[in-house]
Formats: sequence, C-alpha cells, structure tokens
Amino acid sequence: MKNRFTTSTGGTMGGGIDGGRRGFLRSLAGGSVLFPGLVSQLMAESGGGVTAGGDGLAPRAPHGRGRARNVIFLYMSGGVSHVDSWDPKPALMAAGGKTVSVNEFQGRKGDFKMFAKRPQWEFARHGKCGTEVSGLFPHMAECVDELCVIRSMKSDHTNHYEATLGIHTGSFTFARPSIGSWVSYGLGTENRNLPSFVVIAPRTPYAGGQVWASDFLPAEHQGTLVVPGTEPVANLRRRVAAVEQEIELEALGRINRRHLGKRGDDPMLAARMRSFETAFGMQMAMPDVFDLSRESDATLGLYGLERGSTRGFAWQCLVARRLVERGVRFVELIDVGSSDNWDAHGDMMTHVPLAKNVDRPIAGLLRDLRARGMLEDTLVVWTTEFGRTPFNASANAAGREHHHWVFSSWLAGAGVRAGTVYGESDELGINVGRDAVHVHDFHATILHLMGMDHERLTYRHAGRDFRLTDVAGNVVKGILA
Amino acid sequence: MSRVRNVGRWLLLALGCLAASVKAESVKPVTLPADHAAFVGRGTNRNRITEADRAWWAFKPLASVTPPAVKNEEWVRTPVDRFILARWEAAGLKPNPEADRRVLGRRAAMDLTGLPPTESMLDAWLEDREPGAWERWVARLLASPAHGERWARHWLDVARFAESSGFEHDYDRPGAYHFRDFVVRALNADMPYDQFVRWQLAGDEYEPENPLALMATGFLGAGVFPTQITANEVERTRYDAMDDMLSTTGVAFLGLTVGCARCHDHKFDPIPASDYYRMLATFTTTVRSELELDLDPEGTRRAQAVHAAAEAPLKEALIEYERDALPSRWEAWLKGDGPRKVKPGWEVLSVTDARSAAGAGLRPLGDGSFLAEGKNGDTDVYTFEATSGLEGVRALRVEALAHPTMNRGGPGRADNANIGLSRIRAWVSPVNGGPSNEVRFATARATFEQNPGGLSVKSALDADRGTGWAVDPKFGMDHAAVFECAEPLGYPDGTRWFVRLEFGLNTRHNIGRPRLSVATDPGLELKGSGTPAAVAAALEHVRTGKELTETERDVLKAWWKTSDPGWQAVHERLEAHRRAAPTARRERVLVCAEGYPAVRMHTQGADFFPETHFLQRGSTDQKRGVVRPGFLEVLLRGSEERWQKTPEAGARFSNRRRALAEWITDAERGAGHLAARVIVNRLWQHHFGQGLVATSNDFGTQGSRPSHPELLDWLAGELIRGGWRLKPIHQLIVSSAVYRQSSAVDTVRRDADPSNTWWSRWTPRRLEGEALRDAMLAVSGVLDPAMYGPGTFDPGSRRRSLYFTIKRSRLVPDMVAFDAPEPLVSQGRRPVTTVAPQALVLLNGPHVRVWAEALAQRAGAGAAPEATVVGRMYRLLLQRDPTPDEREAALGFLKTGRVPDLAQVLFSLDEFAYLE
Repeated sequence: MKNRFTTSTGGTMGGGIDGGRRGFLRSLAGGSVLFPGLVSQLMAESGGGVTAGGDGLAPRAPHGRGRARNVIFLYMSGGVSHVDSWDPKPALMAAGGKTVSVNEFQGRKGDFKMFAKRPQWEFARHGKCGTEVSGLFPHMAECVDELCVIRSMKSDHTNHYEATLGIHTGSFTFARPSIGSWVSYGLGTENRNLPSFVVIAPRTPYAGGQVWASDFLPAEHQGTLVVPGTEPVANLRRRVAAVEQEIELEALGRINRRHLGKRGDDPMLAARMRSFETAFGMQMAMPDVFDLSRESDATLGLYGLERGSTRGFAWQCLVARRLVERGVRFVELIDVGSSDNWDAHGDMMTHVPLAKNVDRPIAGLLRDLRARGMLEDTLVVWTTEFGRTPFNASANAAGREHHHWVFSSWLAGAGVRAGTVYGESDELGINVGRDAVHVHDFHATILHLMGMDHERLTYRHAGRDFRLTDVAGNVVKGILA
Repeated sequence: MSRVRNVGRWLLLALGCLAASVKAESVKPVTLPADHAAFVGRGTNRNRITEADRAWWAFKPLASVTPPAVKNEEWVRTPVDRFILARWEAAGLKPNPEADRRVLGRRAAMDLTGLPPTESMLDAWLEDREPGAWERWVARLLASPAHGERWARHWLDVARFAESSGFEHDYDRPGAYHFRDFVVRALNADMPYDQFVRWQLAGDEYEPENPLALMATGFLGAGVFPTQITANEVERTRYDAMDDMLSTTGVAFLGLTVGCARCHDHKFDPIPASDYYRMLATFTTTVRSELELDLDPEGTRRAQAVHAAAEAPLKEALIEYERDALPSRWEAWLKGDGPRKVKPGWEVLSVTDARSAAGAGLRPLGDGSFLAEGKNGDTDVYTFEATSGLEGVRALRVEALAHPTMNRGGPGRADNANIGLSRIRAWVSPVNGGPSNEVRFATARATFEQNPGGLSVKSALDADRGTGWAVDPKFGMDHAAVFECAEPLGYPDGTRWFVRLEFGLNTRHNIGRPRLSVATDPGLELKGSGTPAAVAAALEHVRTGKELTETERDVLKAWWKTSDPGWQAVHERLEAHRRAAPTARRERVLVCAEGYPAVRMHTQGADFFPETHFLQRGSTDQKRGVVRPGFLEVLLRGSEERWQKTPEAGARFSNRRRALAEWITDAERGAGHLAARVIVNRLWQHHFGQGLVATSNDFGTQGSRPSHPELLDWLAGELIRGGWRLKPIHQLIVSSAVYRQSSAVDTVRRDADPSNTWWSRWTPRRLEGEALRDAMLAVSGVLDPAMYGPGTFDPGSRRRSLYFTIKRSRLVPDMVAFDAPEPLVSQGRRPVTTVAPQALVLLNGPHVRVWAEALAQRAGAGAAPEATVVGRMYRLLLQRDPTPDEREAALGFLKTGRVPDLAQVLFSLDEFAYLE
C-alpha cells in the first residue's frame, strides 16, 4: 500500500510549478495551508471524539479496530432480481407458471393467488466455495471466493424513492445524511486534494442528490458528483498558474476568515472555505485521477474498458480504484440512475444489457484490488434497493415487480468472511428464511468493518443525537472474517 | 418495449408515491372494499373521513386570530412581530439588534428582486430618514419588474417547470417558456393569488380569448411525458400524465401528496384512493396543445384601427385620380394606337368549373385565381373547365400564387407551405362540341424547382406520383410553371379546356392558390401578368374597328388603367399602405387545456380517453368503474355540487378544471383556507430561508407542524381579506422587525433557540445559483435586463438566469452545481450544498472571468488610483466600503495580482455569496 497516498506531480500544474507544488504538498500533509487560522480556531471549540465544528475532514482514528479504510459502494438502481442472480431457488424453477398461494408476509395473514415465475437464468456452483450464482453474472461468479453473499436482505419500503433513500441514509421517509457522509464524518479523509466522498453516476438516481447529501452533517461531507464523460468534473482547468491562484486563495481566505470571525463559527461558512481548499487540490488531483493513459492494456482488459472510453460502468470502476488509491474515503458508483435501469417490470430480459455493463467491470475491479493488495483494506459493497417478486399477478408476465421482503447483496474485501453465503430466503425467495439482514444491520456491519460503532457515530441535531442506523441495527457477526 | 415501460415508471416513483409498486403491493394484504362500486361516484367514501381526520390542523378552517399583546410595544413594526415576540417574551428572550442599514438594504433587494441594489437606489434608502423609509424601500423593490423575475423562479421550482418532455428523447417544447413569462407578469402585476391558481388550472375556461390565461395553463403541461408510446402503453401513459397534473396540483396549491393515494388509500393522510380518482377525473380531457397566439390582441386591434384610419385619404386620392385625371388619358389611349400596340400575352383562362377531389373549396378571387379553403386532403386532384377564344396556343401556364391566409404565405398547403404537383394533364375540345383530345406537352420550365430531378417541373409531366414540381424553400412568393404544348392548339369557334392537377407527391402538398393561363408564344415571361380572355376579345374589337359594348369598355378600361403610370403611382401608395397593415404577431404557446389538438409524441393510440376509471391498485388492467370528478372529502364543507356542474350540451368546456380551481380557492366551503396557508408559508420560507411549516410541500401528517400556527392563520386570513394579493403580504413580512434583525447570535440565543425556529435572529443563507450569477452580472454592469421571450442555453448569456432554457437532459451545469433542481416533480425547497465544484465555478469558470474583467473595468481599473478601484468594487459588490484591513489586503494583492483577479476573489467571498 505504499502508493496509497502519493499523487502524481505530473504536468497538470500551471507555470508556477514550484509554488503550486509546495502549496499542494503542504495541503496534502493534512494541514490547512490556505486557512491556517481557521483550523486551530475551530479545533479549539471542539469537544472530544467526533466533532461538528472542527476540521471535519482531518483523518481520525475509528472507535475500534476495523480492517476497512475505504469503501467502494456499488449501487444497482431499480431493483435487481435476487432469484435471477444471487439466490438460487430450485423450487421456483420447478413451480414456474403454477399458482402460488401466498398466505403470510411479514407476519401478516392473507390469501393471495399468484403465479410463480420461473427464473430465466440457470444457477451453477462457482469457485472453491461453491457459491451458486446465475448465468446473469458470469464474471462476478468467478469471484465468489472473495464475496460474502447475503441472501436475506430486507428493506422497509416497496417504492424506489423510499427504498433508495433507505439503503443510502437508513431513513425511508425523510432526507438524512448519506452513508458516505457518515463515513466521511466519522473518519475524515487522507487526501485533502480530493473530496472525501465521491459519487460517480451517469444519471441522477431516485431521490436525486439526497442520495449523497450530508443533510445536517457538516457540508464538507457532502458527496461530490462525477459524471462519466469527457468532462467528469467541470471547471478543473486552472485559470491562472497555481502560484497565482494560491495568492488569490490566500487573499480570499484572509477576508473570509475575518468575515467568519464576526459570525461565530457558522459551520456553513467554514465548510465553504474548506470547499475552496478542496477545489484547489482537485484541479491537479482530479485530472490525474481521470487520466487513464498510464493504465496498462492488461488492466483495462481486466475491466473490459476500451482505451480512451470515458463511459460505462468499466470506467466508473477503474476510476473508483484510482480514487481509493489516492485516499478518497468513500466512493459510490451508481448504475445507472432513475431510468433505463434494473426496474424490470416489463421484461426480465432488460437485465441482460445492464448485467453486461456491470459484470465484467466489477469482477475486474475485485481482481485489480486483489492484485494491488488493496482488497486488504478496501470494503466493496454491492447492493440494490430491493429485489423483484418471484411471482406475478398474471401467468404470462415477462417482468417482475418490486419486492422488498427479501433480496440479495454482497460484501467483499477488508474484514469480510470471503467465500461464504449469509442468510437464506424461503423456498420460493418470497421472504427471509433465516438470518434476516435489515438495511440497518447492513449499515451497522459496514460501519463496524470500518472500525466504527454505529451506536456511537452520532451527530447532535435539532436537540437529539442522530445516527445512520436510527434506533436499530445489529452488526451481523456472521459476515465478519 | 419494456425499456420505455421502465422509464414510464420512473416518473411515478420519483414522485415518492406508491404507484410503481402496484403489483408488488398486491401480495400484501391491503384492506379492499367488499364492493368495488363503493369507490365509484361521489360521496360514498364520506363515512371514511372521520372528524378526527378533519381535526388535523391544516384541514381546519382558519382560526380567527388577533395578534397577541406584547410588553415591548415599541419593537413592533407590523402585526407579524407580535406573534414572534410573544413567544420570546414567554421564554424571556429579547429581540436581536437590528442589522446595519446597508445590510438591510442589500438583504431586502436580494430577497425581493434577486439583484443587489444599485448605488443610487441604495443611497436613496440610506438617505431617507423620514418615518416610513423602510416601508418605502420595500414597496419600491416590490414595484420593480425584477421582483417578478426573482419570485417567478421560486414558483417554477414548485411547478416542476421545464421546456422539454424528459425521458430518453427529451423533446423540446418550444412554446413552453410562455408559462414562465406568465408567472413573471402575474407576480409583477400582483395578480390575486386565487386568480393565479385558477388560471394555471383552467385559464382557458375562464378567459378563452386571453393569451395570458392560456399561457398560465402551461402549469399543468410542464411535467415529463414519454415518447414513442406503443399501443399497449397508451392508456397507462395517459394515467401517468394525469397523475403528474394531479400530484403537482395537490402539492403546489394544497401542500398535499394526493398522488400517494394512487394505488391505495393514502398511508398517512385522510386521502382515500377514491378521492384520488375522483380528482384525477378532473383532467380526463386535458391535453397539451400548441397554439399560435397573438400575445397582444388589444395592441393588434389598436394598431389595426390606426392603420385603417390612415387608409381613407389614400383611397380618396385614387378616387380623385380616376375621376379627374384618368378619363382624358383613357380616351387618348383608346383613340390613339395604344390598343394596337398591346402584345398578346398570357390569357387567363375563364374557368367555368373548378373542383377538388378531396373536397377543398376553390373560391375564385376575381383575378382568375382560386383560393383553396377548408378540407386539405392528404392528396388531391383539382380539375378546371374553362373556355378560351385563343387559337394557336403553344403553352399552358400553372401559377401557384402566394396568399396571406396561407401558412407562411403559401404557395402550398403542406405543413411547411410546400407544393407537390405530381402530374398535370389537359384536354381540349371545340367549344361547340366535338371530340376531346389530350394535350401533349413537350417540355416545361418554372420560376423555381426544388431540385432538377424528382422535384423538378418536368417530372410533373410523367405518370410517376412520386415525382413532381415542388418549391421548398421558396415560400411566401408567387411561382409559375409553363408547360409547352407539342403542337398549336385551339379551335376557330373557341376551345373548351379541361385541366387536371394531381397532388400526390407528399401529404397535403396541394397548391393553395392556382391560376391557369394560355399563350401563343411559349417563350413569354413566366410571371408576366395575364390578359383575361374578355380583354383580349375587346382589344381584338378595337383593332378591327368594331364598336365596343359598354361592358367591353369597362373591362378594357379596368385592364388598361393598371398600365397608366399616374394611376399606378396613386394605386401603389394605397397598396403599399395596405401591405403594411399590422397583423397579429403570433407566437407558439404551449397550453394544457381541452378542445385543442393534442401535441403528439409518436403515440400509437388516443391522446386521451373519454372516461377516467377507478383503478384497483393503480393498474389499468383492473378497472373498477368510471369515476365522476370530485374533490378531497376532508376539505369539503357541504356539497360539492356547488362547483361540479354538468356543462350544457354543446358547451365548449367540460367545466371540470374550472370546478377544481373554484374549490381550491374557495376559502369558505372548499380548500381555499389551506391554499392560503400554503402560499403565505411559501412567502415566509423564501424571505427567511425556512417556512413557518418547514415542509412547504407537505402540510399532511408526515410534514412538519407550524412553528407559529396563529401567525400562519393570521397571514392566510390577511391574504384572503386583502383580495388574495401577495404584495401586501410581502410588505407585511419584510417590513417587520423580525425581518430586520441582525444575524448576530449569542450563547443565550443559541441555547434558547438552537435551530432558530423562533426566528430569534436572521439566518444567513447562500444565494441560489441564479441569484449569485445575476448578482455577478449586475455588479459587473453587464446585465441585460431584457424580459420575457425564448430562453437560451448559452452560459455566457447576460440576461438573468431565469431566462435559461430548462431542458431536462441539458440543465445548465453552473446552475446545477449550485443546487438548481431537476424539474421532475414539484420542489418546495431547494437543498443548499457546499461542495468544491461550486468553488471551481468561481475560480475557473470562463464566464465568471468575463464578468470579473467587466467589473474591473467598471471600477476604473487602469484609469483610477488602485485604492479608488478597490473601494468602488467593494461598494458595487457588497454595498459598503472596505475596512482599512481589507483595503490594505486588496492593495497588497494588487502588487502582484491584476484587478480582474481581485474582482474574482471578491466574487468568491462568503459575504457576496450569502444573504445576511
């Protein structure tokens, strides 16, 4: 992990390279060269532990021992069918087209006649561990020895909007801070030239920017959106040489600092000043992140990325690795957004092109992280907002509907019990059969893997302590290595 | 294709309702009525709304509130202050000090107009030390046209306004910006809010001839809509579109998530699914249409009247000339050798019968031409029967003449004004009987042909329907084609002509104003004016010395005078005046109304269905009976018959949207009290950064409770009592002492009121992207204040940001960086983020640089001493002088940096970006 926090000093800087580099390196060291007074001033005010007013992005120790230092959160938008991917249901295979009488859900009684729908992909055992995966994800299937597949995920809501909000914020109703913001808030970041939380999404997801909003957490923990394409982050090209810009920013900092001093410690203003600092660093660090020219053909091949292409999930995955390499704490990749996604009401075959877009890149990401030793301290999360119904109201329906009673996700990397399956759905994949993992449990476990206690990672807002897991959540021990 | 289906669902889900989970929900035991019919019709769910439901604060009638008594009477500036102060006094909290006068000046200007005050404006406020100065300052800002532009943007968020259809294709809606202009105009004119609501829901029903009322209906049509809708998606798509109208209506005007009751009764609020469908039926016949509207009909009428009055003397001059000067000239011509010098030209055929196979009317215009009117067949065949005395005819001319009544002036009736003469045929026979012979044409030429191949005039000679004469892009002018006969034609006693023009080249490419002529000389000018047969005959009589009949004299004189230079001059003055007649300037306006042709999106099916059904679990596969329009039971006092009137037979409108609009704005018996609460809360929110009800789009049980319910009710009551005018409410709020507080905060205040829910201080807030950009333009002196009209995508535009075109797939990046919403669903309150990409816009944005340079120049960079330049920039940007420290820092910076760089630093200041 030697290269984790070094950054290319290559030619993206302007004319005043020395000054720029000096400023950059000082900034990189974690101190705030541009706003020297600010940090101490704010730090002085902070209490113990995780604080609101201090330099929220400074790296800090977790509550306990956690293997994971970074997270790559792979989010499949729309609802991936569990019974067609990670959760083999032989009984459902056999029951296809037959009437299923469903009389209990979540403890509620009723009498419903539905038609079981046979999964469209066959399952087979893979890897040393023999975890069964369907033909939908042939490349990820080859990586099952890295994964802990959870087949007993549970969510609280059947709508995209609420369920998307839930899997990201732990709240199914109101906007709350995103998990990425919580992690940034809890651990800070190790490269001040990049945001601590980056979201790469070609399109806006359900619930829009709330998915990466910091909400009441200090604004510097907000996710920064990167959009695949030729200009993933706008306005990165410096207008003036770095050294001149540094002078400008010093002047700006000086005036703003005086302004802030007269206005208490308004965290919004403080966060805004830090955003200029991050912006300063991003001008050099971000183009470097996006410059894939020095990636070998072999690496590109691993992800299935055509040289020069800036689109598709392969690009998102490779850029995620490069961000994590540079110390970005939390990277979320969204596939793809709130339209043309995994929401296969009309026809399950719409999963095919979507699977093709993500399967090989994700397998490539896992292999690449493994090869670079990065999987030791990077947690990779694969999830969706809910599964899809194993049955339909009509016998010949080609698609599947929303299904949040049970679905599948997986974890890989740091601290995860690899090559295992956790939990089960019931016979037909309708309900949790054993060892339910609610979204809150999922979050608690992710925080635990990062060394944080979900009950202690709190923020006082509107008179009470808030946390990612609300008032619930248990760390799922069976997932831990 | 399920790809479209996926995205079709996306809208519903973005709405945060349960719609898309229809079938998934079906496995969950939901309470179903034993008798589905119970859902149908009105009133049957009455027993499902309980008194407890009606007791929810938002549904209750407005409380009759007297502003409370307070101890500190001196502090009170408007009654608003009493409500706020009473709470503080109970808690032992003292008012915060007032903000500095300059801060106040900037605060109110930015808040009310979205622009920083100009120096002279600010000075006027600062120097006004008379009582009522603040109220005058506020009133002045409210009267500024910039006020409507500023507050229109707030409403456009609520209205999920955009100018494209969304989804993958995201087609443009070119006439959609008129809705934005309506909002600006309405707010500036202080249109009563109840009318503002009514027009947006049913402007076409209230004032069908008023363009502004029609523009207002753009509200309903601003939502997303898919394209390429396959036959089996048509119905569901239609329900989605109506759902968008209803959901937005519910949230925008009533603060209620009515859309959540689409699949089942609302989970939290007393809104049964039956109420949802009854309300949905309001929009049964409502479709998006594009109308060509004269936006200023009154102005057009006035201009036309003025013009008509100016015509009289010109007409008189012509009459005088014809009476006084013309007769002697006529006699001289007739007696001289004039008639003998007339060369035979085009003889316009005397048509005895003209018909259109498709059923168009062919109306003779008196000059030998016919104007095609009415039915415009996809294809057509015109046939003309005519007679002519001319012998030796070598050419048949077909003119396709322009006419102002035609689209783009013609000459064709195609959508683009083109023609497509696929074939011409003609027959001649002796006028007194005999065999008919088909004319053989040797060749053809024309004034213009679209191409020399399949769209050439010669290709009209062959039998191929796919080729023929067309004239794109030369529209709005006369065209002519000459078909040369292979041999001379004509019979000594006169000839009967039968001419057949076939239009099959392309749909509706029919000639709009044809005229037929013949000539003995095939080389004549294409456009030479014709000599009518009667004139030709009269001339012939003059030449042969035959006595002219009275009629022949008149015909000949009428023809001759057009060649008299004196007459031409006088006549041309009259004609020139007539040509300059003011016509209505029509613009394409997107409306969402009923009775007009719907904008089609490659839909394989109907635009709407005549009935709206109750759908079990929101599924079009599970219809449970036709619903009649109705309202939310919980917001009804008494019968809804008051508003729901069946229109008379043959009525133009169904009265459905009008009924809804009446109910929403009826504060006595309908939902008007809630509508009033919702809008005054929106005003409060934009003045203070947060509403008295924090969830300005949700007044239901999942929303926040009002922090000051009495104040909310009092303001709502004031609104209604004041005739629903918004400006007085703005004035009440902004004039208050609460509004004038400084943002200073001490520990007592912070402890007593940590989230400022008691409004115990001013909470600074970052300007929206639009306001920040507009402020940069304004202080740089480059703001283009032009109002209204089509928007632009150009990020370098100098107009206010309100005039950016909102295309859903192409939002302006600089606005998005600063949290401009994605216009998918109504947004009551924007999030305020602080991320590095915003800093990057200010540091590196190319347009920011342009404005920084403009600011530097405006401040006198290079011309004035640096200290003066710095001072001037501070005053322009921040409405204050720099402190000595700041001046020193700026001058220090200028030792190495340039003035535009300093300007850009100042643009980035927190003080500039935040409203204090």
